[in-house]
Amino acid sequence: MPELKTMEYLKKIYKKRVNELQELRNNGVKVIGTFCIFVPDELIFAAGADRTILCGGKNETIPLAEQYLPRNICPLIKSSLGSIVNDGCSGIDSCAHFGLVDMIIAENTCDGKKKMYEILDDFIPTYVIDLPQRPDTDIALQYFLQELESLKTELEHFTGNEITSTKLLDRIKESNEIRKLLHQLYCERKRDPSPISGVDVLKIIQKQFFLSPTEFKHILKMVIEEIEHIQPEQESNTKPRVMIAGCPLSGGNTKVPKIIEERGGVIVCEESCTGTRSFWDLVDEDENKDPMLSLSQRYINIPCSCMSPNKKRLESVVDLAQEFNVDGVIYYTLQFCHGYNIEAYNVQKELKKAGIPMLSIETDYSDSDIEQLGVRIDAFLEMIS
Amino acid sequence: MITVGIDSGSSTTKAVLLEDSKQLAYTIIPTEFDFVKASEKAYFDVISQSDVQEGDIGHVYSTGYGRKNIGLAERSISEITAHALGTSYLFPEIKGIIDIGGQDNKVISVEHGKVLDFLMNDKCAAGTGKFLEYTARALNIDINDLGDLWFMSKEPALITSMCTVFAESEVISLRTQGILKEDIAAGLIKSIANKVAIMAKKINLHNSHGPIAFVGGVAKNRGIHAALEQEISTTLLIPPEPQITGALGAALYES
Repeated sequence: MPELKTMEYLKKIYKKRVNELQELRNNGVKVIGTFCIFVPDELIFAAGADRTILCGGKNETIPLAEQYLPRNICPLIKSSLGSIVNDGCSGIDSCAHFGLVDMIIAENTCDGKKKMYEILDDFIPTYVIDLPQRPDTDIALQYFLQELESLKTELEHFTGNEITSTKLLDRIKESNEIRKLLHQLYCERKRDPSPISGVDVLKIIQKQFFLSPTEFKHILKMVIEEIEHIQPEQESNTKPRVMIAGCPLSGGNTKVPKIIEERGGVIVCEESCTGTRSFWDLVDEDENKDPMLSLSQRYINIPCSCMSPNKKRLESVVDLAQEFNVDGVIYYTLQFCHGYNIEAYNVQKELKKAGIPMLSIETDYSDSDIEQLGVRIDAFLEMIS
Repeated sequence: MITVGIDSGSSTTKAVLLEDSKQLAYTIIPTEFDFVKASEKAYFDVISQSDVQEGDIGHVYSTGYGRKNIGLAERSISEITAHALGTSYLFPEIKGIIDIGGQDNKVISVEHGKVLDFLMNDKCAAGTGKFLEYTARALNIDINDLGDLWFMSKEPALITSMCTVFAESEVISLRTQGILKEDIAAGLIKSIANKVAIMAKKINLHNSHGPIAFVGGVAKNRGIHAALEQEISTTLLIPPEPQITGALGAALYES
């Protein structure tokens, strides 16, 4: 497949965004750092602030974090902290934005992140929202709504701007627009053969919470327009269609998707925070309803592995695999991510019932296991072809 | 049609020569440093053992750790597919394969040569040929004698470490306690058999209602063979030359 113009455009976007964030701060606009799709960015924007994602996907900053954190924890957590504690990341590219946040809004998801945030607070003021981990009860919804109300107050206080229902509803509509565009992009991938590689989609979706909504929308429209008319050569429809399920693939981390596609598979869907989990459900836009309640209802239903029991995720993996007509699922776990790692057992059980093969892999950000992963992935692609 | 399959492994390189799916010759040579050189040597070795001329060879396929870099081969397949093809050719009715090689081990669920599911060890030498090699050294015995000690032991020592490096120090510590050599050896064998049996059970091989084959260099070790049969409570089929099933499968591969 020839390189898409959108991907060419994307190469220059990092610098542009960093300049934009710097300018915003010079003009007194607060920039908030986030780590997780459980934090509603609608609230941040409604408070007149901007936000940028701080999840690290690079191996280079991990040694910096190991001065503060145990070695045996997930690479995403280490990479993130490493990018923040060392201002400018010792000249590592794509790191500058970590130094441009005034405050962090974090969340209680996994143990590793929770405890890392306590250390992070020494470097950048960090506000943590709590999540009920059994989400399907009324009391959980009430509790989460309260947490978001407190966050709202905190943001109002921090920015000096009131978050009105009108402002919030406007931002909800804007975020929904992005979600709908992402649905459109993913819909194109249901075609057989898919008109776009999984690595390209990943590189785009990794920018979802990094860029401004306006810029991200622009990119989504550009790529959709570009691929709508692409008719991939028929021979490529012999490529096995793969879905990735599991841990997020944060900016800078394309290791496993690259191996999958270099070895002949095509990724057509990601059941991940850098995939369907970030946009699948919309927020209710009903103007007669409290937008805070609408936000709570949507966000508490994100099927993250920190929830328990997590039937919703098990169903969603099978549904997506069927909807995108995949030949197999590659279950992606970051080392020491116990939630996703343990949940692989039940996911595999459900997929087996549906007759969908699954390969489970566990890896970190280093290149040391590329060959070992390659053998497994080769064998899996041969098996499902 | 004459085909050659080359299995470029971490310890040894294997080649098999077939004519219309009938095995004419095979070879096993140490890989040493240069994977490509070893694959070429194995290729010419296997040809020279038969009446076949190089020009008669129809296809060459490769598998194994170095499979991507073998210029002689027109394409490569993964070890898992190769072992499934090769072993099912020898034992058409098998439902499962356990392969223990130099640096990895795999369990494969298979039906009529087609892979249904598989698992490989993670990036660690635990339960592989390398584990045996290192720990035999710590026991000060030849790796080939290690297996025989299994049958002499009355009370296998408990080896708890799965890390090759730590297992070595565990062995030394057992030696200082005066534990018998055969009991330490048996403990090591039991720990490998146990690790591999857990993998096999994870993909349900023990319930697969069909024979299971044991292949790879380590299958030649009688002690491991016996210990593994005990751990998964079934008889394991071992081919006459268990080290060449990967190369055989590659030679059988038809694109």
